[in-house]
Amino acid sequence: MAAQTMAAPATLLTNDALPLISAAGTRVNEKAMMRAPLTIEEVLNSRWIAEPLHLLDCCLVTDGGGAVVMAAANRARSARKQPVWVLGHGEMLTHYGITNMPDLTVTGAVQSGRAALAMAGVRREEIDVVEIYDSFTITVLLTLEALGFCQPGEGGAFVSNQRTAPGGSFPLNTNGGGLSYTHPGMYGIFLLIEATRQLRGECGPRQVADAKIALAHGTGGVLSSAATIILGRD
Amino acid sequence: MAEHIPIPMADGDSQPFWEGVAQHKLLIQRCGACQQFVFYPRLLCPHCFSDALSWVEAQGTGMIYSYTVVHRAFGPFAGQVPFVVALIELSEGVRMMTRITGDEPAAVRIGAPVRVTFVQADEDVTLPYFQLA
Repeated sequence: MAAQTMAAPATLLTNDALPLISAAGTRVNEKAMMRAPLTIEEVLNSRWIAEPLHLLDCCLVTDGGGAVVMAAANRARSARKQPVWVLGHGEMLTHYGITNMPDLTVTGAVQSGRAALAMAGVRREEIDVVEIYDSFTITVLLTLEALGFCQPGEGGAFVSNQRTAPGGSFPLNTNGGGLSYTHPGMYGIFLLIEATRQLRGECGPRQVADAKIALAHGTGGVLSSAATIILGRD
Repeated sequence: MAEHIPIPMADGDSQPFWEGVAQHKLLIQRCGACQQFVFYPRLLCPHCFSDALSWVEAQGTGMIYSYTVVHRAFGPFAGQVPFVVALIELSEGVRMMTRITGDEPAAVRIGAPVRVTFVQADEDVTLPYFQLA
């Protein structure tokens, strides 16, 4: 899909755009496996895995685990921890095998994102922090486009100029993501955990100031299953 | 001892496809109700849900829809890198995942015309690969 995206008409994505995602990985999470600063050149100079993806375009392989406690609203209000509310969610399955993906450059995040935003009654510009599954750098670019944060083919330009880096105007994958924090195979739980921690203000040096609404998006299968959730706090 | 590549498992739906490949014929299905071509092999037409699917020989031509050059592989494929894995859009309109043969991965491009070639991949296995046309 990365090759297909680069060939898509009118795309602004170039081979140089892919590493922006991994190079911008926050590197400010003290629990992250990879914390050393990373340059775009280092990503481009890392060895090929499957072109056009270099080693540093691919998520880590780590141990790890997580858990989420869900409760009914009346119970959550009396819990010791500040509750984070599920405002909306959406799911989409587009294909079974990658051969039958209708368009390699468009994921089911189009439909799952639309459903989640509609249920939550939230506009994109109201979202304070975004956690997107990053199996590979291209996964994030395709998801940003499909969720409507930018136009198709403009994901590369969207993440450039440190926009998604710490302190940038679009807080993204604030824990460092699967590319630098952790990736034990089922990374999705960490999307939910980081979004929750951001909304609770528990993130220390990587905290997004006054985060009230978060979007988390998981991608599964072979770019085939998409799930979006909108979380909010009181 | 060299590891053998995994042998494709023919089932009730795909048996005719693999028998065709063994005879160096690229067979795909066509729906008698809506006339659309179908691949991968299956029982019902995904376009109109008719069960009137029959087997036809594809022209064996198409173009590269997308591809990757694999530099890291495992098991019996580890010693074959770099190799090109591609999605081919056949002239009939269906897509097929395959390998592009040849010594020049750098010449492979999205949209490049290709044609089928049958490769003896292992002592027991013939596979439909494609080459630049």
